Formats: sequence, C-alpha cells, structure tokens
Amino acid sequence: MNSRQFLIRDLLVLFGLTGWAIALPGFASEFAVSMALTCLMYIALSSSWALFCGTTRYLSLATSAFFGIGAYTSAILLEQLSWVQAIALGSLIAAAVAVVMGAAVLHLRGTYFAVLTFGMTELIRHAISYFEKSVTGTVGRVLMVVPERDTIYFTVLALAVITVALSIAIRRTRFGLAMLGIGADEQRAQTLGVNTRWVKVAGFALTAAVAGAVGAAMSVRWTYIDPHTVFNPFIGFQTVLIALIGGAATLWGPLIAAIVFSVLAETLRLQVPQIYMMSLGLLLILSVLYLPGGLASLRTETFRSWRDGARLWWQETRDDLSGETKRRKEREKSLRERRDVF
Amino acid sequence: MSFSAWLELLASGLITGGIYALVALGLNLQYGLMRILNIAHGEFLMVGAYLTWMAQTSLGLNPLFMVPVSFGMLFALGWVVHRLCFRRLTATSPNIDIFEARGLMVAFGLMFLVQNFASWMWGGDLRGYDFLTEPVEIPLPDGTAQFAGNKLLVFALALLFSGALIVLMRTTLLGKGVRALMQSPTGAQLMGINTRRLHPLMFGIGLGLSGVAGCLLSMSYTISPSMGEPYTVTALIVITLGGFGSMGGALAGGLLLGVIEALGMHFTNPSLKALLSYVVFISVLLLRPEGLFSRKSRKA
Repeated sequence: MNSRQFLIRDLLVLFGLTGWAIALPGFASEFAVSMALTCLMYIALSSSWALFCGTTRYLSLATSAFFGIGAYTSAILLEQLSWVQAIALGSLIAAAVAVVMGAAVLHLRGTYFAVLTFGMTELIRHAISYFEKSVTGTVGRVLMVVPERDTIYFTVLALAVITVALSIAIRRTRFGLAMLGIGADEQRAQTLGVNTRWVKVAGFALTAAVAGAVGAAMSVRWTYIDPHTVFNPFIGFQTVLIALIGGAATLWGPLIAAIVFSVLAETLRLQVPQIYMMSLGLLLILSVLYLPGGLASLRTETFRSWRDGARLWWQETRDDLSGETKRRKEREKSLRERRDVF
Repeated sequence: MSFSAWLELLASGLITGGIYALVALGLNLQYGLMRILNIAHGEFLMVGAYLTWMAQTSLGLNPLFMVPVSFGMLFALGWVVHRLCFRRLTATSPNIDIFEARGLMVAFGLMFLVQNFASWMWGGDLRGYDFLTEPVEIPLPDGTAQFAGNKLLVFALALLFSGALIVLMRTTLLGKGVRALMQSPTGAQLMGINTRRLHPLMFGIGLGLSGVAGCLLSMSYTISPSMGEPYTVTALIVITLGGFGSMGGALAGGLLLGVIEALGMHFTNPSLKALLSYVVFISVLLLRPEGLFSRKSRKA
C-alpha cells in the first residue's frame, strides 16, 4: 500500500469506530457506557502521549499534571462559564503550563527528563494542596453544576476522535516528520535545519492541551475532586503503560491497548484490585522485554521467533542438565590439545 | 533563638539526613553503576521493613538480628530479578539511552508488582512495633536535648553503612573494579573485569542495602505497603544532590537535605516539607545536573 491508501484506510477505521461509539449509549447498559468512557479517556490520553513522546522518545511522566490542571480549571470555572468554554480554557491553561515546563526541561534527555517531569507533577500537586489548605481552607471541591451523562460521554468521544485524527494528520506534515527526526537523532535533525527547540515545545504543549481537555471533561464525572485524586501519578503511569504496551511509535497501538486495559481493569479490579495491578506490572515487564515495539508490532513472525527462542532455551537447559554442555566443552578442549601436539 | 535550640534543630536535621543517606545508598549503586534507575527501590525497602516486622511480631526476634538477614534475602531477590529482567535487557538494547529508558519501564513494572503483592499479602493497614523508644538525653551548654533512642541508633548505623561502603569502594579491588565500570564499561571489560558477574552482584547489593534501610526504618517509623514511593523520591533527590554514583556525595547530600528540611520546616510551615524537597530537587536538576559536589570528572 502506498501512503495515500494508508491514509484512506486509517480514516475509514476511525470513521467506523466513531460510528460504533456514537451508537453505544443507545443500546448498552449503564455499566458498559461507563466502561467505554474510561476507555475513551485512556485512548485520548495515551494517543496524545504517543503523538509527542512516542515519536521524539522524550519520556514524559507529566500527564497527570496536565490532567489535574484541566480538572481544577473546569471545577472552578464551570459555575461561571459554559461547558465548552470551561474545557477549552482547561486545555489552554494546561498547554500554557506545558510551554513553561517544556522551555525549562526539554533540553534534558532520557531519564533526566522523565524524572524531572515526574518531580514537577508532584511539585504542582503539593503546591495546589497547600494552596487549597491555607488559602481557600478546603481539602477538595464539590462540583455543583454537572452536565448530563451523555454530554460527558460525547465530549470525551469527540476528544478521543480529535486526538486520533490529529495523530493521523500530524504524521504526514513537516511538523510530524520533524518530531520523528528528533526521535531518531536529535543532532542530525538540528543540522538539517529543524528548529528542535520550537518543535519540542509545541509538541509537548499539544499533548498537554489534550490531557487538560480530558481532565476538564472527566472532573465532572467524579463530582468531588481533590488534588490527590486528579493529580494521582497513577493516571500518568497508566497512560505511559498503555502507550508503551500498545506500541508508542504506532498509530493504533495505544488505542488497542487502551481497550484491552479498560476491559481488564473493569473485570479484575472489582474482585481483586491487587491482582489487577500486579498483572499490569507483569505485563509491562514482559512487553518491554519481549515485545519492545508494542502490541501493534505483533506479527506471525513474532510468534515464530518466540517459539524458536523458547526451543533454543529449552535445548540449552536440557544440555546443561544432562551434562551435554560439559561433554561438548571437553571434546573441544581435547581437540584443541590434540592440535597443539602437532 | 538560643544556641542550644539551634543545635537541637541542626541535630534533628542531621539525624533525618542520615536516614535519607541510608535510603539512597542502594539506588545510588544501581543507577551510578549500571544506569538502572530502579524506581521500585522504595518498594524493596518496604519488603525489608515488612520482613523485619514479621520476624519481630511473630517470631519475637530482635530487629537488629534482622539487619543481615534482610540484606541476604533481598540480595538473593535482586540476583534473581537481575537474571530474569536486566540481563536480557542488556543483551537486547542497542545503546545505553534505550537501555536506560527500558530499564526505567521495567522498574515501574516491578514497582506495581511488589507494592501490590505486599498489600495483597499483608493488607493495607499501618503496622509497627516498639523498639528502643525511650528518649536519650544529651546535655548541651544550656539545658538538654532529647532524641528517640531508635532514631539515634538508625543514624549511627546509617553512618556506619555509608562509611563502610565508601571504604569498600575506595580501597578494595572490588571497589576499584566497580569504579572502573562506572567510568567506562568498555574500558573496564578490556582490562579484564567480568561485567557478567559484577552486574548481578552489584544489583543484588543495591537491593540488599535497600532491605537494610527498610529494616532499620521499621524500628522507628510505622510501615504500610504504600510507604515506598516517598522514600524512592527522597533517594532520587539525595543522589541528584550528591551526583549520580558518588557514595560520599550521597552521604553529604542526604545530610544536607535533612538539614535544609529541618530549617525550612522550622521557619515556614511543616506542611511545606514535601514542597520544599521537590523545589530543592528540581532546582538542582536544572541548575547543576551533575550534582552539587562533583567536579567535571566523576569520582566515587
């Protein structure tokens, strides 16, 4: 397939999925809709994360900061502003914070960047809880004006569709190619005339804008928010997890993984939450070790190479246990010695 | 403020700082030597604390006896973890940057695994036991200062362990090999240092030290499955302050952080403690990412 056919395929898939998701509240149960909502939230978060962090390989752990900023914005302003305005403002403020944060930390790479974004998230969380405690005198906020369930669902759906559409579109622009170039080799990209600083800050702000909008839309669903729940670092971790397990460099990987995760979460979490979290950790380790390209890179060849690897490992273990390795080494040694004699 | 009040404040800061330094030792070894940013460090510390608590409450063993035992058990655990995860990661990663990012992810997975295992096994309650709780009075020029006996003990042992590790790194052949490996992995291999043996050994020692820290902390603080994360962050702050991989730097960084926190809390507000440590952390990372005490070249 050429690039145009890929574009048409991606758009068709997106169109079909969207239609299905729009129809969902019409026939599905309350439980299924709320599950779909969680799923859509993680689709938006992890697709937007993969859009910047997957292509440039800057591992950001700050998603929960932007999510929380959006949530707080809509919680404070929803009584004065309309629904759409509150969400737009939430995403704008999150993007503004991301620009400031990005300008300060985007010159650092790798682990430094990951650790710093995590530290800044925690800093923002502690700052807001301190502010709430000492200035407004509360721990959390109760949301009085809450839109209907369907409004929230369709808003989050729209955000998810916009995010996926954005990632389809941005891959084909100069901007997306510049981000890919930064991921492959930042210095080379700079030499070839990419303004890396600008591209990185813009990409970071874009992810933050989506995360802020999602936070603003989701905060009303909880009706009570405090810094501990909306700035929960686990939201950021899970976003990164989903994107990585799905395949951070791919378009559909985060979406597939988000669906798998929401189903897994809802079925396991109610009975045994610890088992759910443990399997999450195990899955992450296994996927980093054996499937570094993510679920989206799974092909028939992958299974074949796993099978061959397992077979090789089994043969080696058998040889070790039966003493075959030792005998082989001795044979080789005696061969060498015989050669030395002549 | 009188002179003795200043002294008391400084001493309490130093005691907390000694504990911070102890918490950071293991992580420093792992990150400085192998570039494995073990974010699950605090979780393994928690496992050490729980082991001690179990031995103390159900078997009635002395917590001090558990120091070497928890070191040994976590050392074995670390050996296994390295063999299962990080050996394959080293073999398959094309370069050190990718190895670092993947190692961080694996450590995240370990964090989820260990933390939830603990809360599944022992429940989410706060646990604790009494050990050496009576205060020790230390005479000062005007009046006396009181410190809890177990905290003083932990402080002394923290200094002892840090000192022992510094001596080990500076004087023995093993330490020399480790320092060589920190400077240049390839060069060290060319000089005949067996990385395949040294890496699991050091990873195990790192985890063992976190077990020791957990064991000592359980003497004076309450423990719970979620106690690990704050300690991981503290350890990260301390090793950033001291410069990654520098043992003396970590000790100095820990003491400094303790004193900064004690002073900051005294002059502002106790609820600002977490905020203060994050501010210190971020400013050090932004302004001096190579650590406060390091010159350009890295030293152990």
